[in-house]
Amino acid sequence: MTTVLLAVPILLAGAALSLALRSNRAAAAVALTTQLAAMVLVAVGTAGLLAGRTAALELTWAWPLPLDHIPFRVDALSAFFLAWSLPMTLLGTVYAIGYLRPYFSKGRHGGPHFALLNLTALSFVLIYSTQNALAFLLGWEIAAVAAWLLVIWDYRQQKIRFAGFNYLVSTHVGLFVLVAAFMLLHAKTDSMDFAAFGAFLSRPSTTRGTLFLLLGVSFALKSAFFPFHTWLPRAHSAAPAHVSALMSGVIHKAGLFAFLRFTLLMGRPDEWMGWAVLAFGVLSAFFGVLYTATQRDLKRLLGYSSTENVGIAAIGFGVGSLGWVWNDPTLAACGFAGGMLHVFNHAVFKCLLFYAAGAVYRAAHTVDLERLGGLAKRMPRTASLFLVGALAISALPPLNGFVSEILVYFGLLRGAAPAAFANMAFVAAAAALAFVGAVSALSMTRAFGVAFLGSPRDATIHYPEDPPLTMWLPMALHALAAVAVGLAPELGIALVRAALQLFPVQAGVDAALAPLGAFVWAGRGLALVIAVAGLVRWRQGVRARRSPTWGCGYTAATARMQYTGSSFSEQLARLFEGVMPPLRREQLPTELFPQRPGHVATSHPDAVERRMFEVLGQGEEMVEDASRRVSEQPRFAFAAGLLALILIGAIVFGVARTW
Amino acid sequence: MVISSSTIFRVADVLALLVMPFLVVGVINRTKSLWSGRRGPPILQPLWDVLRLLRKRSVYSETTTPVFRVGPWGFLLTTVGSAAVTPILGAAPLVSFPFDFVWFAYVWALGRVAVMLAALDTGSSFEGMGAAREATFSTLLEPALFLAAGALSLGAGAGGHALADLLVPRLTAGDGSLMVWLGSVVTLFIVLQVESARMPVDDPTTHLELTMVHEVMILDHSGPDLAAIQTGAALKLTVAASVVATLLNPWAGTTAPRTAALNLGLTLVIAVVVGTIESLIARLKLRTVPKYIAVALASAALALLATGWRNGGTP
Repeated sequence: MTTVLLAVPILLAGAALSLALRSNRAAAAVALTTQLAAMVLVAVGTAGLLAGRTAALELTWAWPLPLDHIPFRVDALSAFFLAWSLPMTLLGTVYAIGYLRPYFSKGRHGGPHFALLNLTALSFVLIYSTQNALAFLLGWEIAAVAAWLLVIWDYRQQKIRFAGFNYLVSTHVGLFVLVAAFMLLHAKTDSMDFAAFGAFLSRPSTTRGTLFLLLGVSFALKSAFFPFHTWLPRAHSAAPAHVSALMSGVIHKAGLFAFLRFTLLMGRPDEWMGWAVLAFGVLSAFFGVLYTATQRDLKRLLGYSSTENVGIAAIGFGVGSLGWVWNDPTLAACGFAGGMLHVFNHAVFKCLLFYAAGAVYRAAHTVDLERLGGLAKRMPRTASLFLVGALAISALPPLNGFVSEILVYFGLLRGAAPAAFANMAFVAAAAALAFVGAVSALSMTRAFGVAFLGSPRDATIHYPEDPPLTMWLPMALHALAAVAVGLAPELGIALVRAALQLFPVQAGVDAALAPLGAFVWAGRGLALVIAVAGLVRWRQGVRARRSPTWGCGYTAATARMQYTGSSFSEQLARLFEGVMPPLRREQLPTELFPQRPGHVATSHPDAVERRMFEVLGQGEEMVEDASRRVSEQPRFAFAAGLLALILIGAIVFGVARTW
Repeated sequence: MVISSSTIFRVADVLALLVMPFLVVGVINRTKSLWSGRRGPPILQPLWDVLRLLRKRSVYSETTTPVFRVGPWGFLLTTVGSAAVTPILGAAPLVSFPFDFVWFAYVWALGRVAVMLAALDTGSSFEGMGAAREATFSTLLEPALFLAAGALSLGAGAGGHALADLLVPRLTAGDGSLMVWLGSVVTLFIVLQVESARMPVDDPTTHLELTMVHEVMILDHSGPDLAAIQTGAALKLTVAASVVATLLNPWAGTTAPRTAALNLGLTLVIAVVVGTIESLIARLKLRTVPKYIAVALASAALALLATGWRNGGTP
């Protein structure tokens, strides 16, 4: 345990040192070394937990008031999250060195940025190990504020400041809800320790349901579930690529961790809770994936896909919880294993995709799909790595996304629920998951096909070549992980197996994983034959005859005539117009011989955000209206003044009474 | 040495997989010829076409990358991957494992992505159009496929079922199993029409690129690559037809010669039905295709609801 906690001072010292150092190179070196040291310490400390040899590491730290003491406890669940969070943050820091180089060469000081990356790593150690609500909130807050400051790296742009502020406000709304839940728990238990919370939560009470909802909303906001996701696409398109990657892939997994932590503390959930999580997951996956299909901005697209993927993980958790409720260890194992593995898998491929998008941004200075095209020829390395990520995120065999989704399918399609209705709901959820997979395949085909294939759409963009080593190495490692877990799921299962045993799965794990073996071999076989056939055709194609693309009889085709991203998703967007209303701005030519050219622009802004701003706007109007009336009509002014007087009087009276 | 009947079945399965795709496409073409009053090409003409293409060289567009060259083979091999779990002869597919219908759906998806990426690689607006349509239709079709598979799976009882097991018709009187079966048959038939790009969803013989779906995606492929795509498409059609045929086959699930014979016969009958529909009905407007797929979704949903009736609302 001390080894794990030793990471905290090391990371803090690294952060302080990189702030103090003037040279960017030195600051980066310090951040990398300290993160590496922290990672090794944590890995050494938690290796036994991951292997299932030790039960849990515990340590209580005496601390002056107001905390009294801070209990730390690292169990297999914490070990699972720590096992990939820290290495991925390290890779993100490596990527940052390459990504931020143009800024550094202009004299920008990168020290604070590296210090914040260190603090992010620190927040993981805190959140995943502490058992005290206040220390937990501290870690939660460090993560939120560090992420905010990381997002506004380019703070001179108003758009980016707005995105950052939007994130800051949203994450604190979530924090208020979390604080409310903790206060309620404190009032009931007179303690800030999770152990005491657990003792209370595991007893049936009406407060239990309320707390479940409060905690659920807070964690959902952290992990950007629909409809709490509005801050996410903005923040992700504004932040530097590695920050988007870390936020989406790693930092916001804290929400899912906290959900699992409290599920464990709560003990056996009520049946409605399992259904609520399942329904929430389906909702999130459905809307998240629909929005990925219509985005023009590659990073916004990836942002929405986070909402989709946490939804898939939540479907797994919902299935797992229901398995727990119904005393079906196999079902619980399918659900929790699929959900947890998906959390890890999502971190793997989402970071990869964001890094690749960052490489595109560095090269082309834009991630607007409608302006890109033909990147595969200029950046072959980035293109092939992005393709791996795209196939993995679409859950296609034989990559890692397929493995975790298939486990969830095992749970949904086993037909083992105790009621016919429940079985039908499970099949419907499986169909929803299939829909999500198909739309995800559509939007990833669209993103890869439009940006990387075809010919360049915008002649004003000059592409240099592939990114430097510091940028493509993290990508390559992530791609390697995606392929490795896809072809040998044992690697991924090994990570979650110990954590899985914390849930009531008993011997269900092996029963749940049994059907996976055939899929793995089928996937390996398919991968092998496609690789061989691909290689053969590739070699044969090198000497093949070349000619222009067949223009269907039209000989003056230009790159601007290619199918665009918007046209690719037009038909789907039209089908789901009802839930995803398009925004159409147009200025059509008016006269018979128009003097000015007309223009039409359609986009799909976030429906939830639009409605939110509408409501806020209405509220503002109401307040404005009221304040105008107050000044215009003496009656209102009199009433308002009287009300204020009564309030002040009551407060004074109340304060006097307490004395 | 005793050779078990399922081994013989598997050998026959491979033979059927080699011949049936071309035969099915040939039968559809012959049906269409007869309906339009022509004699039509030889039944095995699709095979001769593929062999002719294999002798040619491929020409590649200057715009394309290796994605374009790998795409067709990815499509063919994934389709083989789905054929391996399909009971072409009504029983004992080459491989069979629990939940292999999920594998079936996902390798189809992978093959689709391979063709779509190859299409986008050419930078042709027509090919992009075809890819977009294919992708959009598939988003509605996949849930229908899973609803039908889920309904059949619930009809077959708890546990992980293999595709070959799901497709065994289970009909008993008065418990809704007829509805489950009928709904699944309708859904899987529409899946066949959409996935194999047949009428009324897509017209494989149209002359106008603007209205094509599958054909327009492969405009730039030539030589062996085109042969791979044509073979893959024929195989996919056969696989989809066998799925429906097995569900119609009363002897499905038993490794008897009559099962195989009936299944192959039913597959060819389905080919005739597809050809007849193609001759008698005009292609739907692209806007209405999603509504047609919605029929598949609705009938699969009905089948799913009927499983509740079957169980009387209790396990």
